[in-house]
Amino acid sequence: MPIDIIVCIKQVPDPEYFDKITLDSATGTIRRTGIPVITNPADRHAVEEALRIREEFGGSVTVLTMGPPQARKSIDEALAMGADRGALLCDQVFAGADTLSTAYILSGGINLIGRYDLILCGNETVDGSTGQVPAQLSEFLGLPHTTHARRIDMIDDRRAVIERVVENGYLRVEMELPAVVAVLKRINTYRLPTVMGIMEASQKEVLELGCSACESLGMNSCDMGLEGSPTRVAEVFESPQRRRVEMLTGEPQEIAKQLVRRLHQLDAL
Amino acid sequence: MFDFTKEQEMLRTMVREFAETELAPKALELDKRGEFPRDLVKKLASLGLLGISTTRDLGGSAMGHLAGTIAIEELARVYPSVAFFLEVGTGPVYAISHFGSEEQKKKYIPPVLKGEKIMCIAATEPTGGSELTNLATEAVLSEDGYVINGRKVYITGGGVADQCILLAKTGERASLIMVERGTPGFTIGRRQDQMGLRSVDVSELAFNDCKVSKDSVIGKEGSGFPIAMTTFTVARPAIGAIGLGIARGAFEIALKYAKERVLYGKPIARLQAIQFLLADMDSEIDAARWLVYYPGAALDKGASPRDIIKASSRAKAAGAGVGVSVTLKAIEILGGNGVSPEYHLARLLNDAMELIPATGTQQIMKIIQAGEILK
Repeated sequence: MPIDIIVCIKQVPDPEYFDKITLDSATGTIRRTGIPVITNPADRHAVEEALRIREEFGGSVTVLTMGPPQARKSIDEALAMGADRGALLCDQVFAGADTLSTAYILSGGINLIGRYDLILCGNETVDGSTGQVPAQLSEFLGLPHTTHARRIDMIDDRRAVIERVVENGYLRVEMELPAVVAVLKRINTYRLPTVMGIMEASQKEVLELGCSACESLGMNSCDMGLEGSPTRVAEVFESPQRRRVEMLTGEPQEIAKQLVRRLHQLDAL
Repeated sequence: MFDFTKEQEMLRTMVREFAETELAPKALELDKRGEFPRDLVKKLASLGLLGISTTRDLGGSAMGHLAGTIAIEELARVYPSVAFFLEVGTGPVYAISHFGSEEQKKKYIPPVLKGEKIMCIAATEPTGGSELTNLATEAVLSEDGYVINGRKVYITGGGVADQCILLAKTGERASLIMVERGTPGFTIGRRQDQMGLRSVDVSELAFNDCKVSKDSVIGKEGSGFPIAMTTFTVARPAIGAIGLGIARGAFEIALKYAKERVLYGKPIARLQAIQFLLADMDSEIDAARWLVYYPGAALDKGASPRDIIKASSRAKAAGAGVGVSVTLKAIEILGGNGVSPEYHLARLLNDAMELIPATGTQQIMKIIQAGEILK
């Protein structure tokens, strides 16, 4: 029962350099110039999960991203890990998309790719951290979805059981496929690309999809990019971090009591 | 500035991530125990790092010599012992893949690239390492093969290798002879203690009436010295790459510390005395980069080992030199913390010092370089 999987990935600023990111209060955006980019960490686990399922059941893994031309680097990394092909949604029209518009455009990309049994995403990205795109994507595609997945068990090519993390436990959810599943980082340990994988990546097919390709599906460019984004940033501001040090002394048990007392006094508990 | 290919950039990212996740958390403990991390050999193999510059028909990826240099540099930035292991492994594989018979290539190379076997080259003798034309170890041809007698010292990987390529005198000239571990008369002596590269095994080897078959010679009989010199020429830049990686690792530690350490009410990075050191370290590293990358890039573009003799010796000397020099400056920036093991600089300095005599001292490198200049 081969399973065709599409994995949505995103290129994000490297968290190692978050301290170098500054805010532009005039435009309400963050200045990313000079900040190295990486593939969103949770998305790498989504790629790994797709590869694991393909290795067990056969099928294919296609990675899809929306972004500027340099987002191709994230596709190349996934191809080097072992994905079969990639697709880059790249167009000036897509610029400035909020989560809703991003999900709309990704749904176009997925429909252009065509065949799929399962769509995997990282649960959230490290830049926006909204976690909204997987659910919005499933609505645009008319598919069931679940988020916070820590385990995926394929029953057959039409059904899967997902362990979905909730407070104090998890739910086992049986889903009909196709479906959108957003995975947590804890779902697996992702593999590194091998040297041969890196060499072979450049031979693999990468589709380049623009606005006109999406419009050929009947999609409306007015719903794409900044124009199609209902979200507006009202204000951005830096929150200054202030540190204050208090040294507690005594035996460990006494220090623990003092610590709890102080945290209560500071309304931190 | 070198214009790296997309593949080379991806390789650097991959090896860096491997080093950060697999080696960094274990570096202090591995160094302290001085153990050879055999399990890491399998991991290096599974990533394809043992065959970067070997042809695909033998199980390599043929990504090239510069790619190999990059991988070694990135490993050395975090844990130089593993980088040194990789460097040492390139020599025997290069010698066999370029000078061995088809049978030898198929027999010996794939298991090494898969991490199933480890190979070493044994050249240095107690009487000296750089005078390889005057060997005491001798292989005498008899009816059923060679009988070897002699002693080798400072053999990197000698104690853990499954196979040893031995440089021994066969008549008037030297030959490279493959000796399998366990061959009667081949004994592994004591492990030689070293100030750095603590995870790398360095051992003495002894050969007493050790018999091997006639087809154990790599290349033609009597061609051992030129093959060994060619192999060293190709492998030497990797020693420079280890030094470069050490320097980069030390610089990053010092830079982070200088920005965080507050003295006189401000981070010490704002003191000119520290800035002078940082500026010098930055210049030394970037200057060494060009020298270290050049030989591999030249080989990838079709140069022969003969063409890179000067560049190879220069790369080794420059890289090893910058490893020591930059790490010493980093220690100065960290002051007392610089010599504390937890800041890693003491370990990196010890490792950098090991590179000074490796594959020939700095002076030997300059003699080779000058020899080429004066031709």
